[in-house]
Amino acid sequence: MNHVELAFRNLQRRRTRSILTILGVAFAVGSFITLYGLSRSVHENVERSFEEHGADLTVKRRGIAEPFGGTVPEEVIPEIKKIPGVKDVAGQLITFAATDKGDNVLAAGWSPDSFYWEHVPLKAGRIPRPGENRVALVGSDIAQALGKKVGDDITLLGDKFKIVGLTDYHSVINRNQVIVRLADLQELTFRAGAVTFLAVKLDNPGDQAEADRVSQAIEAMGKFTVSPSEGMLRNDSLFGLMTAVSSAMAWVALFMGVLMVLNTLLMAVLERTREIGILSAIGWSKERIMLALIIEGFILSAFGSLVGIVLGIAGSKFLSSIPSIGRYVAVEPTVPLIAVTALAAVVLGVLGSFYPAWVATRASPAEALEHA
Amino acid sequence: MTKRHLLQLEHVGHAFDEGRIVALKDINLDFGEGESVAILGASGSGKTTLILVMCGIRTPTRGMLRWRGEPITTLKQWTDLRRSEIGIVFQDFNLFSTLTAAENVEVAMFGSTASTAERKRRVDRALGTVGLADRATHLPQELSGGERQRVAIARSIINDPKLILADEPTGNLDSKNAAAILDLMFDLQKARGSTLIMVSHAPEQAQRCARQINMKDGEVVNEQVTRAREEAL
Repeated sequence: MNHVELAFRNLQRRRTRSILTILGVAFAVGSFITLYGLSRSVHENVERSFEEHGADLTVKRRGIAEPFGGTVPEEVIPEIKKIPGVKDVAGQLITFAATDKGDNVLAAGWSPDSFYWEHVPLKAGRIPRPGENRVALVGSDIAQALGKKVGDDITLLGDKFKIVGLTDYHSVINRNQVIVRLADLQELTFRAGAVTFLAVKLDNPGDQAEADRVSQAIEAMGKFTVSPSEGMLRNDSLFGLMTAVSSAMAWVALFMGVLMVLNTLLMAVLERTREIGILSAIGWSKERIMLALIIEGFILSAFGSLVGIVLGIAGSKFLSSIPSIGRYVAVEPTVPLIAVTALAAVVLGVLGSFYPAWVATRASPAEALEHA
Repeated sequence: MTKRHLLQLEHVGHAFDEGRIVALKDINLDFGEGESVAILGASGSGKTTLILVMCGIRTPTRGMLRWRGEPITTLKQWTDLRRSEIGIVFQDFNLFSTLTAAENVEVAMFGSTASTAERKRRVDRALGTVGLADRATHLPQELSGGERQRVAIARSIINDPKLILADEPTGNLDSKNAAAILDLMFDLQKARGSTLIMVSHAPEQAQRCARQINMKDGEVVNEQVTRAREEAL
């Protein structure tokens, strides 16, 4: 029998306490993975949805906090197209729109000459023909959720649109998006001549100096902010707030979990004060007693982390399965997030064992032996 | 005959509650190798405190102890002595409820350099010596009081100590088990040539030791050689 075997025997034979402690660690780890994964996924899913459309830069109205709240006039598109290094410019109007049965969907309006149409992966049907109005391309996930197919009608903001095609994008947002003609959406939202943002395609997307020059030229036109499409939300205050809130919730969950584990370990040690006195009486040094208690803390944290990873992945899948969440965000905890969280839980568990272990060895053996 | 010194107490005193309660007063005792000693006295006379001071579980508030003539001044010295040279048997057994009889014995070998096989052999032998070879895998709560004390004795001898301190080892046992445990302890002491210092309430138990120390109010009031010693001489 060695220290590890001894720790396992102690934990096995105090099964209820061990299981409760493991569950405490597991819930902390699982909550952190799910909540932090959620906050990261919001960003990643929005950015992925922009990447799929093939844009290099995004132009927004400067100073508007809501991501879809500002508008950019379409009339600036020809001016931006003249800037050296710009290959193409497309405007997109985005809004959350009421549809059948009271559901809200993300509706996007594209102009007929937008380069976005070049990147549409079709699952069924076709893209709208020039001059066609009140027609829609529906994302595969939202089509399935609403039970729609090519040829059906879909209601947006009270008007009926004929579904001419189903899209098959990778990102969750695009899979749940309904695409219509820009003019139709502008009419329904009373935003004639306006788009939510402009997407700019560069001649040389890999040329950072050129991208910077183009960005400066657009911003010099006034009242616009330009960012790389993949970093569009980086400076967005609303998304920043959402990320901060979900991250804070994740950290609070982890912190509470650590406190609970610390408390459990402390209680577990205090109830074993007499045992620790016996160990001291039979010649165990303080260092050896601390080592034994820390090994127990390590085992509890390690098992708790493993269970927590399973809970975190299950929790993420559960969140993604809730329609109101899964329609916009696929909560996918990454391997680095899982690895770092599990490692942090084990390290915190071991560090958390130090204090109870120190408390345990601080009492004199005589006092410990007198403990009931 | 010259006695080889094992443990010496020089002007040892111990007080609790910042000196307000004096448990031991100016104790001077000398224990030699191979001796059997009984410490007698009424409750509160300081017997248990004396035993705990003699193994370093309590630190004397004055005086000094020597092991084989060398002063013991640090907690580490005491820890090392309890690990390898001093075995302790308590009145209430002090076994680990989560460990089997064999594991309770083996846990006292942590820190020794013995291999796993050697440890197992020694644990088996110790449990065999106390008559519990067939109870090795039982938890303490599955054993009788007498069997638990046998496990505690096996644990106290597992490192082949030179000194065994027993604090009323039969205090929680019925008379039949008490007699059996005493027989076992004296047999082991004689067979191993170790020193046995035993706290007891019962004069008839003390008569089995070669030397008897009587205590009252934290002081040694007298020492006497018992009939067992005279017979041995």
